[in-house]
Amino acid sequence: MDFDFGLLYHSFGNVMLDWHVMLMIFIGVTGGITIGALPGLTATMGVALLVPFTFGRPPVESLGMLLGIYCGGMYGGSISAILIRTPGTPAAAATVLEGYPMGQRGEAGRALAMALFASFTGGMIGALIMTFLSPYVAGVALEFSYVEYFALALFGLSVIISISGTSIIKGVMAGLFGLLLSTIGMDPISGFPRFIYGQMDLMEGPAFIPTLIGLFAVAELFSNIEKMGVTEKIQAKIGQYLPSWADIKTSMPNILKSSLIGTTVGAIPGAGGDIAAFVSYAEAKRSSNHPEKFGTGLVEGVAATESANNACSGGAMIPLLSLGVPGDSVTAVLLGAFIVQGLQPGPLLYKEHMDVVYNVFAAMIVANVAMLIVGAVGVRFFARVIGMQKEILIPVIFILSLCGSYAMRQNVFDIYLTIGFGVVGYIMQRYHYPLSPILLALILGPMAEANLRRSMVVSGGDWHILFSRPIAVGLMILGVAFMVASVFNHKRIEKRLAEARLSGSEGTTE
Amino acid sequence: MKRRTMLVGIVTMVASVFSAPAMAAFPEKPVTVICPWAPGGGTDVLLRALSKEAEKFLGQSINVVNQTGGAGAIGHNAIRAAKPDGYTVGMITFELNSLPPQGLVPFTWKDFDPMMRINSDPAALTVKKDAPYNTVRGFVDYAKAHPQEITIGNSAPGSVWHIAAGLVAEKTGIQIKHVPFDGAAPAVTSLVGGHLTGVAVSVAEVRGQVQAGNLKILGVMSADRDKIFPEVPTFKEQGVDVQFYTWRGLGLPKGVPPAVKAKLTDAFKKAMDTPSFKELAAKASLNLAYQDSAEFSKFLDQNYKDVEAVMKGLGLAKK
Repeated sequence: MDFDFGLLYHSFGNVMLDWHVMLMIFIGVTGGITIGALPGLTATMGVALLVPFTFGRPPVESLGMLLGIYCGGMYGGSISAILIRTPGTPAAAATVLEGYPMGQRGEAGRALAMALFASFTGGMIGALIMTFLSPYVAGVALEFSYVEYFALALFGLSVIISISGTSIIKGVMAGLFGLLLSTIGMDPISGFPRFIYGQMDLMEGPAFIPTLIGLFAVAELFSNIEKMGVTEKIQAKIGQYLPSWADIKTSMPNILKSSLIGTTVGAIPGAGGDIAAFVSYAEAKRSSNHPEKFGTGLVEGVAATESANNACSGGAMIPLLSLGVPGDSVTAVLLGAFIVQGLQPGPLLYKEHMDVVYNVFAAMIVANVAMLIVGAVGVRFFARVIGMQKEILIPVIFILSLCGSYAMRQNVFDIYLTIGFGVVGYIMQRYHYPLSPILLALILGPMAEANLRRSMVVSGGDWHILFSRPIAVGLMILGVAFMVASVFNHKRIEKRLAEARLSGSEGTTE
Repeated sequence: MKRRTMLVGIVTMVASVFSAPAMAAFPEKPVTVICPWAPGGGTDVLLRALSKEAEKFLGQSINVVNQTGGAGAIGHNAIRAAKPDGYTVGMITFELNSLPPQGLVPFTWKDFDPMMRINSDPAALTVKKDAPYNTVRGFVDYAKAHPQEITIGNSAPGSVWHIAAGLVAEKTGIQIKHVPFDGAAPAVTSLVGGHLTGVAVSVAEVRGQVQAGNLKILGVMSADRDKIFPEVPTFKEQGVDVQFYTWRGLGLPKGVPPAVKAKLTDAFKKAMDTPSFKELAAKASLNLAYQDSAEFSKFLDQNYKDVEAVMKGLGLAKK
């Protein structure tokens, strides 16, 4: 399949010279950033709710708007992650780790600016890989059977050590707690309801978004209330809307690496931005020469997670366009939007509607630029949130959080679930248990279980099947290696921290 | 009868335009339609398109609300428990008949007032393009010769396509390993990648890959041949008497006044007949199959018995 530069050029013309299309993209990006920033409203939901409005519109316009929401929503999630410790979308969960401490230090503007820049760069790299390498990358999706997915989930779980914070034991405990939670609900193979005690609302397990909001946002609100009146108001330095040259220089290697990780993970159907961000974070920490500073608010950590989840969008479009297989939950909804337009994504789209494919390429690239512009204008406004009076901010976030968890399934049960997990999260935080391993386990646990069980159904219970495929074995070896490396890394971190304490107030040693 | 309903409808619309409060005629406020499945999915897209058309005929706005979770159980329960004043309508789907035999929900279709059936789509047996057989018979012979090898993907445990595959195995006496996935799309992808022998999902769900030449359909489990692939014979034509469909329809909680029900039915039926809705259904390769309330009830009764019997045979029903 030769690349047609003429057609791409023409497609850019289609997108950029038609003010209707440009307007739709900008509306999409602005709406996406807003939806992404609000806890509980994800990019998936934004796209899904707007699909019906695109029914009668020409394909370029409606796809432009939907892609705008997709890109904007991925970035928007980082805003609330940095400012109020609530990942606006699951993909921004890893951004909390470094972004929130930065915000608390008064560097919200710096963190937001880096998140925007990393999102843009990651999104661009993902979009460019999609544009030029789609047919070559698409095959990866087909190589993944249940065995590979199981291995991928195991590999993902090995990241838990890296995000454990100060104690590996506590991190592993949190991870196991998450895995236990993920067994609640219908058995993925037999359909048998487990641990639901007759509660229909638990049939699909504890709903992910309400759990996320509870563990992070509500738990943080509880501890904020506790500290109210005691701590000083944060003096936020705002006015910065693009990252400094120094920050870009330190973060660039991580951005490039994370963008590649993100695009690859995105291209694997069923693995999305959340996994990509956590894996990239762990890799950034592993390869850093000052891993002990991770967790204290490091700008390159924000860069790694945000470039990964935005690069994921481009990656996820690859199997959608070339195979008709959605790469993540947003592209699953986009598939519906294509079909409504009378376009069936997949190999046929490439044969019969090459113009549409190239329009999508162009729209995706333009949407990323639009995101940079809208985001840069917005950063200074977003960052103000952090300087607001706690007495006003806390109730507002509380209400927004509960609305968000309700909105996901329009289910009152989820509100109680959110508050319940808020209490759990508060207690865990109080005793220094990291919360992110729970999330990672909730994402990967079901993936590991269902695919292990599928492999067993197919092999008739023969375990050898797990070691019969090269990609799967490779991923498992990589997972073990990563885990061993993280443990050694952790030892090194502990030693350095101890040294730093000994050397007194001079701060950390390099 | 019909003319009178229409007349009442017109009067209502005129009345609502002049907002005469004296005549408390239905509908006075927006109607809510519950969708038990997630926004953006096939059911949701269909329902939103239908509701958009029906607004014109009902003279009120219609809000689609997604109450998801529990493999459709939560949304169906919400429809059943809604106030029977006609302001809450719901989309009911096949799972209403497959959840009760599994003992997962405390209600059956009899706790609803079925309003109308919208579509019904048959299962199809689809395999890789390079598979060494081209007919259902060929597949059965191959399966008998290779009893431990046949893996058939479906969209969820106890789902309509799981049951369809089970039915085929039961009727032909072959051994199948059922591999449930999280939705039809990952199952189809897995088949394209060569990790399964076949899938038993609907024609719409494999259409793209079949047209692209990656997969082939061996047979459809319906009375008539498919409109998009008329060259594919039915199972019955190939000597295997299996018919199995998924369906979607509209339902009300029990106890809605007949006049209100008639008005709603009329509006949604007219919406179904609009060219733009028909066009959308064709694009999504949905097989529109309207049935009125009485026919739909009869259909549901038979469907429930069939589903329960097969699920018992598959060991999916609660003992």
